[in-house]
Amino acid sequence: MSAAAIEAENITKTYRTGRHRSIEALRGLSFEVPAGSVFGLLGPNGAGKSTTTKILTTLSLPSSGTARVTGADVVRDAATVRTRIGYVSQGASTDPLLTVRENLELAARLRGMPRSEAARRATRLVDEFGLRENVDRAAGKLSGGTRRRLDVATALVHAPRVLFLDEPTTGLDPESRAAMWGEIRRLAGQESLTVVLTTHYLEEADRLADRIMIVDHGTKVVEGTPASSRRRSPETGCASSSSNRMPNARAVLPHPCWACARCSSRSRGRRPCSSHAPTTARPRSARSSRRSMRRGSP
Amino acid sequence: MFRRWIVATWRQVWGPAMSLLQPVIWIVLFGQVYTALGSLPVFADGGYIAYLVPGILMMTVLYSGAWAGTGYIDDMNSGVMDQLLSAPISRSAIITGQLLQQLVINVLQSAIVLGIGALAGARYPGGVVGILFALVAATLLATVFCCASTAVALITRNQVALIGLSQMIVLPATFLSTTMMPAALLPDWVQAVARWNPMTWAVELARTGLDGTLFNGSADAGLLLAQGGALLGLAALAFAWTLRAIRGYQRSL
Ligand SMILES: Nc1ncnc2c1ncn2[C@@H]1O[C@H](COP(=O)(O)OP(=O)(O)O)[C@@H](O)[C@H]1O
Ligand SMILES: [Mg+2]
Repeated sequence: MSAAAIEAENITKTYRTGRHRSIEALRGLSFEVPAGSVFGLLGPNGAGKSTTTKILTTLSLPSSGTARVTGADVVRDAATVRTRIGYVSQGASTDPLLTVRENLELAARLRGMPRSEAARRATRLVDEFGLRENVDRAAGKLSGGTRRRLDVATALVHAPRVLFLDEPTTGLDPESRAAMWGEIRRLAGQESLTVVLTTHYLEEADRLADRIMIVDHGTKVVEGTPASSRRRSPETGCASSSSNRMPNARAVLPHPCWACARCSSRSRGRRPCSSHAPTTARPRSARSSRRSMRRGSP
Repeated sequence: MFRRWIVATWRQVWGPAMSLLQPVIWIVLFGQVYTALGSLPVFADGGYIAYLVPGILMMTVLYSGAWAGTGYIDDMNSGVMDQLLSAPISRSAIITGQLLQQLVINVLQSAIVLGIGALAGARYPGGVVGILFALVAATLLATVFCCASTAVALITRNQVALIGLSQMIVLPATFLSTTMMPAALLPDWVQAVARWNPMTWAVELARTGLDGTLFNGSADAGLLLAQGGALLGLAALAFAWTLRAIRGYQRSL
């Protein structure tokens, strides 16, 4: 058993999109995630975050390269990997027609737990994730934040060693996002659990992750430890510290504010939020100013 | 795995309930429109309703089978499919579980259709064994169509394409068979097509079971055996195709 929960070596993924066309979603990505840590996989839309997650969760096959999760190869030993991971896919991943309890019990039963144990486990997770008042509601009728909490709870039903969260807070309102951050922090406290957190909010990775890797166009831009949240820029509240310490990050992530927790509007448009307008703190990068000009914002 | 789908069954109660309304309408409609046919000698003593019921039974099977794939498309869109594929269960268990669920619904539906037929005046001289025989034939046909629909869903991943394709198949399959008309009353070319139509095989099997000719020796046992065997073979092929389709689906992710 190696100390690394995940070892990826030079993985590539090429999607065929037509007879002669293809997209190189990953172009040789290598990284390691130490067991018990929270790993932030950060990058703009289309960077290849979901593709990486899908390969590590055995959902799709790499075009080349190898990856091991808890020491098991994701291609040759996919069955072993599947027993050890929990996966929250981008967008919802629970059955909208089943209730909270049914979704949890089903996930447990699918992993071979006997009925009574599945029920016990479901009850525990319902309490842990504050789902008690919604326990008999259909997942499809839950609010965005609650639904997402159910997704995470469902992925934890078999006490996996590695939990993959693909953009767990995208599209959530600030309050739900804060609640989700709380849950992730709580999970981060568990020694036995490794969390791979995919996000395009710099601040999210900054606050929650022990290590961050920024990807763009399928390649690693930079990898390192985030600055502590105490060193956040006081006037904007934006976590720009990481982007200061990792100059390359600026090139990928147009403006530090796009990671701001208060700017839930970021998930809908790419405009910086008004309250954290880029004029105050530091000059904006060429990319973000071009973008905001095109959109005609101040 | 099977239980997963049984849990999931009740939430779909409305679908099957609605699809039961159809056979009622068909039986009443066709039964009325074609009452005059009943006096023709080809229908023997049973009358047209008794002739029609096995046909309606298979039509119900066909229509609900053709919808089977839509559940997969819902699952693909809601992310449930990703969950299943990254869970430690075999790909064939996913397919089999869903199929078994559909076959259970199908048997219930079929039994209800036979009940409705009885209310409409059809008698089943073949008795309980004949009815069971008809249900087996219905299950085979359901397997063929559920699997085919699932495979198409996994390949096209598109609700509209799936529904369009099934409609293109379902209607001709019904009319180019002995579902509503005995072969003797059909034009030659339709007769030729009908002979090779799996719908005909299933309908004829059910018919001989229900009217008892299967047991009193007046039916062509060799032909029925061939039809039953062909239906079984087709069901196996369709199942294999679905398995291929789900593996192909995962490879394409
Ligand atoms: N199934 C697919 N078929 C073809 N192209 C895909 C598929 N999935 C993702 N891509 C492409 O691969 C690239 C990376 O996508 P993805 O991993 O989803 O990025 P991210 O999750 O970082 O937003 C994008 O250009 C996207 O369009
Ligand atoms: Mg993504």
